[in-house]
Amino acid sequence: MAEQMVKFMVNGRSYEIPIEPHMTLVEVLRDKLDITGTKLSCGAGECGACTVLIDGKLALSCLTLAMTAREKNILTIEGLAEGGNLHPIQKAFIEHGAIQCGFCTPGMILATKALLDENPNPNREEVKEALAGNLCRCTGYVKIVDAVLAVAEEIRKGGS
Amino acid sequence: MTQEFSVVGKRITQVDTAAKATGAARYTTDIKLPGMLIGRVLHSPYPHAKIKKIDKSKAEKLTGVEAVITIDDTDRTLWARSFRDMPMAPSGSLQRADEYILADKARYVGDPVAAVAAVDEQTADEALDLIEVEYEKLPFVLDPWEAMKPGAPQIHDYAGNNIAVHLTPPPFLVKGDVEKGFAESDVVVEESFFASKQVGCHLETQACVASVDANGKITCYSPCQLAHPFRRELGKIFNKPLGMINVISPFVGGSFGTRLSCHNEPICIALAMKAGKPVKLVYTKEEDFTCIDTRTPHYFTIKMGFKKDGTLNAFTVHTTTWSGGYLSRAQLAGGITLVWALGHYRCPNTDGWCDVVYTNTTLSGAMRGFGNPAVMWGVEQVMDMAAEKLDIDPLELSLKNVKHAGEMANLGLPIESSYIDDCIREGAKRIGWKEKRGKRKGGRARRGVGMATMTHCSGAWPLLIEHSNAFIKFNEDDTISLTVNPGSPGTHIWGTLAQIAAEELGIRVEDISIVTGSTEATMFDLGSHASRSTYVTGNAVLEAARQAKAQLLERAAKMLETSPDELEVEDRQVYVKKAPEKSISVADVCFDAIWNLKGESLNISGKSSWASHYNSVPTAAYFAEVEVDTETGEVKVIKFVTAVDCGKAVNPMTVEGQCEGGIQQGIGYGLTEDYVINKDTGVVESDNFTTYKMPGTLDMPETEVIIIDKPDPKGPFGAKGVAEPGLVGIAPAIANAVYDAVGVRITDMPITPEKVLAALEAKSAQKD
Repeated sequence: MAEQMVKFMVNGRSYEIPIEPHMTLVEVLRDKLDITGTKLSCGAGECGACTVLIDGKLALSCLTLAMTAREKNILTIEGLAEGGNLHPIQKAFIEHGAIQCGFCTPGMILATKALLDENPNPNREEVKEALAGNLCRCTGYVKIVDAVLAVAEEIRKGGS
Repeated sequence: MTQEFSVVGKRITQVDTAAKATGAARYTTDIKLPGMLIGRVLHSPYPHAKIKKIDKSKAEKLTGVEAVITIDDTDRTLWARSFRDMPMAPSGSLQRADEYILADKARYVGDPVAAVAAVDEQTADEALDLIEVEYEKLPFVLDPWEAMKPGAPQIHDYAGNNIAVHLTPPPFLVKGDVEKGFAESDVVVEESFFASKQVGCHLETQACVASVDANGKITCYSPCQLAHPFRRELGKIFNKPLGMINVISPFVGGSFGTRLSCHNEPICIALAMKAGKPVKLVYTKEEDFTCIDTRTPHYFTIKMGFKKDGTLNAFTVHTTTWSGGYLSRAQLAGGITLVWALGHYRCPNTDGWCDVVYTNTTLSGAMRGFGNPAVMWGVEQVMDMAAEKLDIDPLELSLKNVKHAGEMANLGLPIESSYIDDCIREGAKRIGWKEKRGKRKGGRARRGVGMATMTHCSGAWPLLIEHSNAFIKFNEDDTISLTVNPGSPGTHIWGTLAQIAAEELGIRVEDISIVTGSTEATMFDLGSHASRSTYVTGNAVLEAARQAKAQLLERAAKMLETSPDELEVEDRQVYVKKAPEKSISVADVCFDAIWNLKGESLNISGKSSWASHYNSVPTAAYFAEVEVDTETGEVKVIKFVTAVDCGKAVNPMTVEGQCEGGIQQGIGYGLTEDYVINKDTGVVESDNFTTYKMPGTLDMPETEVIIIDKPDPKGPFGAKGVAEPGLVGIAPAIANAVYDAVGVRITDMPITPEKVLAALEAKSAQKD
């Protein structure tokens, strides 16, 4: 299939690369750009491991054709820390023991960012609902939800 | 006596989590080598078929294809994905090598038949379509009971009636006279159970990256949990000395026991050999569900006889273990069910047997708890049934019969420590046992509580060697490198080991660099299984740290002009115990030891080979509160409490994490995870997360983890294993709670709404 040149931003950096129309965003990120923090697991939109943010909105990169990200801003887990400082969500996941094998973590953290950008004051049920599309086999989600609630409070306090 | 610790027992942030939180952590699926090809595997679409002919010529001609292999491209060496010839205790537990890396005959849907390596995935997939396989379909059998019948299709020539092996318990668990014991019992309960074929569901799919250098040396990146035993198996498959194989373990995206076996690694290596280039082979999620080990399913008949006062008097377990088309770990998983069951309670008359039966299904291997969650699904329900008949509170029945310190544990060694009574009592308090148990009410939504207990192990000694090594070296300051190779399955074992070393050496966890992950750079470690690493590798680390500390104090004693036994080290300072103001920093001692102008240079270090000669059993009690919707049959877990006796918790946050994760896996095992095989085709129908429902955030109840936190005499700083105990008794506690709520007993896992409704209907029909 004919490749097409596609331009987009990933983590604040501009890329212009040839892409075959059938390629998914996760394939382009991982295989073409070597940005491997985004994980591929089910490949069918069931597990959330491949979650990224496109123009700030949550997207499953295994179901997103890379062509459709043309001219858009993509945020992956690698783009979250700023100037070597971990994002508060990353810190909270680390400090609350919310990370075990770590394979779901990039997706969980980005899904958390999408949640908190929209709703800075979620309750436990709202956090569980927001993360219902992100599967984890290690943690039982308990410390993940704890971490999200704690960082929400911290951001509210710090941001006010 | 409570020991004061400065690092052990603290909720320290884990050493490897920053890499995981930023996307920097590299997993096998992230590895990319120069010139690397992409591998794909052609799997059998039939559950049982002769492979009459394979024509790979068209695939080989496709541009971009660099290797196509079938069994004819291999040495036809039989291998065992669970590793053969590991020196093990008797009772028939040696594992048979019964499969080829590419099939001679297809024995399950998904059996690898051929493989290709090509420049990219698309080309590899196109090449698979061009391989022409002529199959002769054979009659097949999916069910172990059918497989044992005369005239059933024979899956392996050696195994008549498809029975791979008949096992009996180890001699110390065959006691008294069970017939007499049952005859002399006042209450006897006998029930049959099915414990299901749970899938590991690690998010990182099975993967391997392999390369072979100009001298024929193999480098293999693999998520296998047992890197050193795996290397030995590769040596046998490829006829190489072990020095010509390096197994590298990157971060692993979930293990849970299914990665005790290796899976597609030998195929990947064979492709790399044929192509002369590195090859990456990553399974899809569908391949994961179909082609790699699941938890071993079993059918049990459990019979327990009690005296009127609740004393257990006779106990038999008969296990029919459902193996797949090849054994993998089914043989071990079957045999060990007898050990877990018969070893948990005190009983004068015990016996059992286990048949391991081949079927044309996906392989049955290990998963967290290795037979213990399966058999306790039955045992703990029989305990609940017996309690009702005896009119004794199940909690009291457990307390009366569980073994305590000094009694012989499941694996035939004395129990070093047991605080299971504390687990039962504390857990009961937190669930509200007294207030909630036996208060069955009417109405649509009915609540109940149930409990279960278990004893597990810290490693597999004396069934299997439990050998680990640790090497510690001080740099010329107060930091160290700690070389170990327990794997990195996500259990935070690196951090736990670092806490043990830091405690002994008086340094900080952040001053420890973990050197790990390569079989050629590390000394032997059995790997990560049987809740062993904190206990076995931990003891190796503690001993290495003691040796390094002795060298440190000896050098410091010279500098402080005193003797080593007058010294202690704490907070990176070596000081005279009786005169703490007289001190020197660890950094100064280590610098002087290396940059020594007197010609007395020494790199301060410690090295330990540690092998278990005892086995401290962790114990636990589990309490579930459920709500059953009597109109839909749906069971919702409202609250779950796990109380665990894992000795001294080196890091309570890690222990909680293990138990909370165990609750998720246990709820899935008990309620939602249903492995469905099409009876007409042998195809796995539940091959994705939509059809195979592992619990998500919304399926999780309120949870509480109680750590009893009393030290064990043999564990490092008193620690015992804890990874598997997080899961073992979850499902039976839920089943018992369902019974408490609505009076129906589901013995066939999982407890689906359909089964609950059918049982409720049968129950009301009985009343009418």
